[in-house]
Amino acid sequence: MIKYLSNLLFALVNILGIALFTWPLFFDINRFGLAELSQATWLASFFGVIAIAILVLQINAHLLDSKTVAIVAVLVGLISALRLLGAGAVGIEPMWFLLILAARALGSQLGFVVAILSILVSALITGGIGPWLPFQVLAAGWIAIGVGLIPKRISFQMERVVLMIYGVFAAFLFGLLMDLQLWPWLLGSDTQLSYLPGAAVTENLSRFLTFHIATALSWDLPRALITATLIFLTARPVLGAFKRAKSRLDAVATWRTVNERAKEQRAV
Amino acid sequence: MIEFKNVSLIYPNSEQTVIENLSFKLTEGEFVLVIGETGIGKSSILRLMNGLVPHHTGGILSGEIEVAGRSTRLLRPGELSDVIGVVPQNPINGFVCEVVEDEIAFTLETLGVPLEVMRKRVEEVLDLLALAPLRHREISTLSGGEQQRVAIAAALVTQPKVLLLDEPTSALDPIAAEEVLSILHRLVHDLGLTIIIAEHRLERVIQFVDRILLIKGSADVQLGSTRDILAKSHIAPPLVELAKVAGMKEIPLTVREFRRSELEVPPMRRSAPKLSDETVIEVESLTCAYSDGVAEYALRNISLQIKSGEIIALMGRNGAGKSTLLKSLVGLSPIKSGQVRVLGGDPSRFNSRELISSVGYVPQEPGDLLIESTVQEECKRADIDNGCDEGKTLSIFTSLVGNVPVSIHPRDLSEGQKLTLALSILLSAHPRVIVLDEPTRGLDYEAKRKLVKILKEIASNDRTVLLATHDVELVAELSDRVLFIADGELISDGPVEEALTASPAFAPQVAKALPNRGLLTVSDVKSVLE
Repeated sequence: MIKYLSNLLFALVNILGIALFTWPLFFDINRFGLAELSQATWLASFFGVIAIAILVLQINAHLLDSKTVAIVAVLVGLISALRLLGAGAVGIEPMWFLLILAARALGSQLGFVVAILSILVSALITGGIGPWLPFQVLAAGWIAIGVGLIPKRISFQMERVVLMIYGVFAAFLFGLLMDLQLWPWLLGSDTQLSYLPGAAVTENLSRFLTFHIATALSWDLPRALITATLIFLTARPVLGAFKRAKSRLDAVATWRTVNERAKEQRAV
Repeated sequence: MIEFKNVSLIYPNSEQTVIENLSFKLTEGEFVLVIGETGIGKSSILRLMNGLVPHHTGGILSGEIEVAGRSTRLLRPGELSDVIGVVPQNPINGFVCEVVEDEIAFTLETLGVPLEVMRKRVEEVLDLLALAPLRHREISTLSGGEQQRVAIAAALVTQPKVLLLDEPTSALDPIAAEEVLSILHRLVHDLGLTIIIAEHRLERVIQFVDRILLIKGSADVQLGSTRDILAKSHIAPPLVELAKVAGMKEIPLTVREFRRSELEVPPMRRSAPKLSDETVIEVESLTCAYSDGVAEYALRNISLQIKSGEIIALMGRNGAGKSTLLKSLVGLSPIKSGQVRVLGGDPSRFNSRELISSVGYVPQEPGDLLIESTVQEECKRADIDNGCDEGKTLSIFTSLVGNVPVSIHPRDLSEGQKLTLALSILLSAHPRVIVLDEPTRGLDYEAKRKLVKILKEIASNDRTVLLATHDVELVAELSDRVLFIADGELISDGPVEEALTASPAFAPQVAKALPNRGLLTVSDVKSVLE
């Protein structure tokens, strides 16, 4: 029951997130009176609460135990620290590689929780709280979820290459999503690339893509390069350590009676 | 109090049974010692008692374990915290608070004990372990023995009936070890606490314990009185070995019991070891800080010379500056004034290849040196890095600890095995100087014997060995010269027989049992009796 509840919450957060990113494409924003997007800030804390709610529900469902919580906490700390390293510099964001590797080893749902919490925590440290925060939180969460799409059983060499490609993809995806939330408010209403309130979806979409391609490359390209390079360099030791930690997490205790044990031995 | 009924244990991802069909019963108020070779499962047995194995580690367990009438199968480790207290192998890694008092109160806070009760309980254990004067101190500023006492206090604050300690004295100097053990002894006698400890340094503990659980193999475990077990055990302290050499019928457990036998043993004349003329290490009025930017000095004005072929032991209390001196030989200590020369050069300016071939250093936490994901890869990498034949590192390793599955992760090795692996990696590089910080933590007597043999062989090949240790028995077996450091200053520097007989606290058991004869080890006694 609790497990379903946590899955339901997980789905809800994501549907809500998609709506949050794309609604200006479908609706006329002026009608909502949300021209100042600072109202969106509160959504950030909302997502934080939901993430923690998922975590707590899972603990209660005995899906997680103290060891998992400890690992999540350590990863959130590390990723936040890495995010600080890159704060401000053009596209130099060394956090993504760790998030992707962690999500690869721990799975999508835990990766999602780690992503959300680390963006929130690092925002608190850097003072990076603003209308962009809920979008960053969601985008990072999706990047972590996406890692789960990579097939499980592949050789290490293959895994590394796929993860590097995913790193590049994630870097561009993050840029795209961040632009998507920024673009309606950024340019004002009088340029050729501006958001047209109430216009057709296709019209706005093509304007947006032109805007994105024209402006984003100088940020996305370094981010992609750095993420892919770091994944290449660190995949073996870091992924090795995470997978080892994961195997510790997955270790289950089983009890046998003395008779069962004796039977097993006879069978051997 | 604790009962094992037909217990067998297999860890996850492993086919080896750690324990096979083990049954025993410990009664209330017993002081029990668990002994066995490095990595044979002593820690596993302790952790089975409080349910950490298999609740936390996973694995397959058959049979029943009951602690104070409660089954560890049904209760998670946290739910046993009121009957069983644990002091881990390295207490410093387990501390969560900075101040002594807070650390002791921490467990009670997590258990949600009311404030008034908490205050009373904390006061009680502070008195019990004589920690009241230290209550507001920061834990990191305490000595090793004091830290160990804080860890014991933190375990006792829930008023458990059973206390488990994993190698409580292995990191302590002889005096601090004595202090901790006599407190444990008092707890057994005053409070009727049941104490189970795992320890390799039997010479320190056998006089205090009632029974011994001897683990010989997964299916071969014996429980008996101290005297019975030691009489037939292959693991025995020097005093028992000595009694066997002297042909005594009854095994003595204390030096006093041995002395009553009034054994006639002639004194021993030692010939001074022949030394080469080549000076390998030269330290000149060296003053070091703990770290850059710290005003306090870890070492003050130390001067010494070490010749090729010497085996030197560095002794002194916890925190006296031993590690800082060793680190200065590999260029890791922040030097304030004076200089260090190794093979005529400044080690902090060596490039890595020069450093590997001149000084090999094993730090106190040897696990920090291990970076690969299996023991085999670790050895292979060492072979390549050190430019030696393939398989050499692994062969040194297996010659020291016997057969260890090479596919396991280095961090899954026991403390003793980790140290041996780090040592093997270093030995395969064949450096001129070997520097070891506490090399016998977690090593059993057999592994120590092998270590002594290897180090002696190395030194006879015109190489120099320098080790910091609290293990007086090791110093007696191994070294020619002993340096004592106190509070950052070199207070004595002399041949081993002088250094070890000067103070009773640092005397080996043989020297205590047969005083004033220049005898330090069982083999010394053998040689004069022949």
